[in-house]
Amino acid sequence: MKLRNGYTLRSLGKEFILVAEGLDAVDFSRMISMNESAAFLWKALENKDFDSDTLVDLLLEEYDITREVAEKDVATLLQTWKEADLII
Amino acid sequence: MKKVYKVAGHKFAVVIPDNDLAWNEMKNYDPFLVDSDSDGLFCVELIDVMPNTSDKQKVMTDCAGFDLPRFDIYEWDGCWLIEGAPTFEAPVRFYLITDKAFTKARFRILGSPRFSVNTVMMLMFTLATEHRDTLMMHSSVTVKGGKGYLFLGKSGTGKSTHSQLWINNIEGCELLNDDNPVLRIEPNGEVLVYGSPWSGKTSCYRNLNYPVGAIVDLHQAKSNEIHQLPIVRAYASLYVACSGIRFLKEMADGLHATIEKIVSTVPCYSLDCLPNADAAILCYKTVTQ
Repeated sequence: MKLRNGYTLRSLGKEFILVAEGLDAVDFSRMISMNESAAFLWKALENKDFDSDTLVDLLLEEYDITREVAEKDVATLLQTWKEADLII
Repeated sequence: MKKVYKVAGHKFAVVIPDNDLAWNEMKNYDPFLVDSDSDGLFCVELIDVMPNTSDKQKVMTDCAGFDLPRFDIYEWDGCWLIEGAPTFEAPVRFYLITDKAFTKARFRILGSPRFSVNTVMMLMFTLATEHRDTLMMHSSVTVKGGKGYLFLGKSGTGKSTHSQLWINNIEGCELLNDDNPVLRIEPNGEVLVYGSPWSGKTSCYRNLNYPVGAIVDLHQAKSNEIHQLPIVRAYASLYVACSGIRFLKEMADGLHATIEKIVSTVPCYSLDCLPNADAAILCYKTVTQ
């Protein structure tokens, strides 16, 4: 899978937001707030083909957590992103 | 004839033939006239005949809602060509051709100049100032105690009504602008709100500016309640209410930088309200305390 084009990740103080921008954007009024780890993954996945293992490996490299926890977090995150139509 | 105007500290020139009816639509710009030998940020000229643009390449359509203006954006001859219409489905009413630095533009209008002249000026102003710490904000602004208070909200929410409620119920309030004031971040970081020639249905074209006291996002409700917005929510409120154009990365970056600075400096609130005096008094007391 891939991230949908037309979104830009921006930092806002200590927080992160995903905004619809650029020529591929469909809905300019759309804005999604992200926590630090979701923003970290989004940044790492831009313009790449990936699967859930890619995300798990990224989390294990960056954070001091077990594979089991990472897998659970990734499953939840991917579900959220799919529902928000952020993945193609 | 060329006239030079200064809005929110930004100068620009307008060239329209002497007796053209389009000047009638420029009366609201008179308070912003300046004596100047230079054009300022941009010069926009009304033309009678369009060049042949049949080899234009479509870039995108920008339309924020069915009843809101539509802009079809093309690339043509190294320039941007923007074709504008008053609603999503309406036929094209003006053509605007601008260089990509937004310094020199020409426009042609079809039919009545009312919609077209103002929209062309607002478009050029937005494009030329978006990366210059400047933001046009769809809102009504009331001044009290030397500070400007901006009321945001979707069309029909009651922005103008809320301004009127302040003016009628709180001593010493006056209207600065009722539709599209301009926010500008000064070099010292202070955020000022400027009156503009764009004030919607209310004739209120005041060439004045004030520090911003607060920004309030209004929502119709069955009772009055107010709370301060965390930074992400404040950002979202401003992002939706500003007349930003974001199809190019530089524009989107400029817009983001400006909104981020504003929400980090100015307190932003959400007000659930009825159209009554209590709402105005609750709002006033909270945002000025």
